[in-house]
Amino acid sequence: MNLVVDSDYQRSQFYQAYLLSVVREKQILLTTSLSLTGGALLLVASIVLLARPEYQGTRAGFADENYLKSGDCRSCHADHYASWARTFHSRMTQEATPANVQGDFTRNNSFEYLGVKARMEKRADGFFMILNLPDGNIQTAKIDRIVGSRRIEQYLTKQPNQYTRLPLAYDLVNHRWMSLNGSFFYPDGDNYFQHVAQWDSNCVFCHNVKAQPHLDFGNKKFATEVSELGIACGVCHGPGAAHAESALSPLTRTAWHLQPGEDKQIVDPLKLSSERSLMICGHYHGQRIPEPMDRIQSILSQGDPFNAGDDLAQFYRPIDRDSHIGPVAFASRFWPNGSPRLTAYEYQGILRSKCFRNGETGKRINCLTCHIMHGGDPRGQITDENRTDQPCLACHRQFGQTKALVAHTGHAAASAGSRCYNCHMPRVVYGIMAFHPTHDITVPAPQLTANSGVPNACNQCHLDRSVNWAITEARRIWPEQFAQAQLSPDDQFNLPEGPRALFAGDALTRALAADLMSGNGPTKPDPGWASPFLVEAFADKYPIVRFFAANGLTRPGVPWKGDKPDYLAAPEVRETMLRRWRDLTTVCPANVREQATSWSLKFQKPRRETDLEVGE
Amino acid sequence: MVTTDDTRSTTTAMEPAARWCREALVQGWISVAAWMTFGLLLEGLLGYKTPSYLLDDTRRELFRLAHAHGTLLGLILLAAAFSRQLFKLAPPRAAWISLRTGAAVMPIGFLLAGIWHYESDPGLGIWLVPPAALLVIFGAVAFAFAARGGNREGN
Repeated sequence: MNLVVDSDYQRSQFYQAYLLSVVREKQILLTTSLSLTGGALLLVASIVLLARPEYQGTRAGFADENYLKSGDCRSCHADHYASWARTFHSRMTQEATPANVQGDFTRNNSFEYLGVKARMEKRADGFFMILNLPDGNIQTAKIDRIVGSRRIEQYLTKQPNQYTRLPLAYDLVNHRWMSLNGSFFYPDGDNYFQHVAQWDSNCVFCHNVKAQPHLDFGNKKFATEVSELGIACGVCHGPGAAHAESALSPLTRTAWHLQPGEDKQIVDPLKLSSERSLMICGHYHGQRIPEPMDRIQSILSQGDPFNAGDDLAQFYRPIDRDSHIGPVAFASRFWPNGSPRLTAYEYQGILRSKCFRNGETGKRINCLTCHIMHGGDPRGQITDENRTDQPCLACHRQFGQTKALVAHTGHAAASAGSRCYNCHMPRVVYGIMAFHPTHDITVPAPQLTANSGVPNACNQCHLDRSVNWAITEARRIWPEQFAQAQLSPDDQFNLPEGPRALFAGDALTRALAADLMSGNGPTKPDPGWASPFLVEAFADKYPIVRFFAANGLTRPGVPWKGDKPDYLAAPEVRETMLRRWRDLTTVCPANVREQATSWSLKFQKPRRETDLEVGE
Repeated sequence: MVTTDDTRSTTTAMEPAARWCREALVQGWISVAAWMTFGLLLEGLLGYKTPSYLLDDTRRELFRLAHAHGTLLGLILLAAAFSRQLFKLAPPRAAWISLRTGAAVMPIGFLLAGIWHYESDPGLGIWLVPPAALLVIFGAVAFAFAARGGNREGN
């Protein structure tokens, strides 16, 4: 019995011990497994935290402190990076590498102007511009950077104290070399180097992110730096280091995703007040002078103080018709009524517009009303929809109805005369070999042409009608608005406005008229009527007027075949071309040809010239 | 007698383990079948150049991860079940549960994160992935210890 009892007891003890050992073993296994899993988690977390990048404090002490480069933004904003990379903004200023340079340095690589024979060469060590001067001297410049990637490509060479813009550029539209004199409003002259300019004190501010010229005033030496070449993320979004630093945490990012309104420590132009958003673009698209003027010292030494989201007026004042810096006046950059006549003054245009001035504070019209930075057509940064009346109809809804539209415009609903842009944003602004819609959104006023020489929207279509005809029609269609408009007693305003402006206006007005007569305006004039005038316009002493005239003579659809006259050719060559083109256009009505000859002579002497550069 | 009783008691104790093993086996094969089917779908989207897949890098990556992890974890479940059979492993129930849960949740997390996602950032479904990964790691470690040490059937 004892043995049995003993045996049962022992068996029970054995089972207990066995079960305990099994349980203990399982516990040990579980504990060990959990510990190792926790260890693995700790290891992973440590590596991740050690490997995370640091953004805060980059470029500490410089004007571009805490600014990131576009590559830093790419890892999180791949779509935005891609949509930015396809814009001309992204390629505004670039290093002169084979991948970036578009100019022809290998085949059509020579160009003669004002007696200087230039040859452009691509060598193993880079791109070069070699100038054979009439006195036998040869100047060779290595091209280090390029500016522009859409219409013209300009070239910068690095010198000991500065970057210098070279006198020749490549016309990316017409695929040819050109003198920069061919893109400004100056007569041929004899100064080949007239438009050689300093990049560091000038171009750098509007074509890059956070320019810092670091000018040593004593030695007049620049050591220019930029946060990034071209127009990149920092321009619109400001310094991004704090944002990037916070965004490294997935928890923060999840919180941002769940609460889109939360402060992400970055500027989003779409969330700023409309005025502040406008200032971001205005900083680049609105030529400006420092405020106060002596701030120029710190700008040239330390750099541009403005960041996206700031009040631009704290640092700068937009240039207007009355502005001047010492003896340098800016009046010629504006039409007599104060409206800008050059690009890079879009900010001033918008500020003058009733759409902006009469808008509700914080919600006024601004650039993003029509333009889009991460979509649409890179040419103009605009969607197809916004090229129509759509942006205007967002506020002026009543004109979405055909009846109301026709009553408002006095033109057929589908015609060019019923398109908002054509009347309220006519193409009267010049920039880089093309005319653009003004951003000074106005009511057409044909009487302004007669009174002060401001081109009017009506005669942009009705080139074959006079200014006085336009005034009469305006009074008929809109009697209330034009009750005070008076016909001009000056007989020239009874002539067709297209040809009149082509010969009587200043160089910019003539170039604009040539462009409109070439069919680049809202309507396309009959080449049989327009061409004799364009032929005579090719005799103009301003290359830029000849450029537009030459384009018009050879535009698609003209009934004759002739080589495009070279607007930068030597005078004797141009004279030969002119004679050839006069012969070609003898098929045009004789009275038109006579008008072209007589009007070109009639207006040449009394007209006033205003020479001006663009963007300087 | 002791041996007989031990055997009886052990058999009784292992019955749930055998059930977990079978369930893992079923889940493993289903997982392989389902995520291979998903892989086939991805091939189709790729073959027919479907923009919503092809042009969306984040989605593409997450879907790939879902496909790869789903299939691989299915195979791991099968391996767990076979190793139990072959080597008479007896990992704790928690190991089975965590391995199976992790294997199911992780690819679903990737999938959901790819369907609804933000620019260059996965959707909220991605938050399912780290805990699922930890469950799988825990299960794997527990299996490793069961294979290494005494936790074998019949010990």
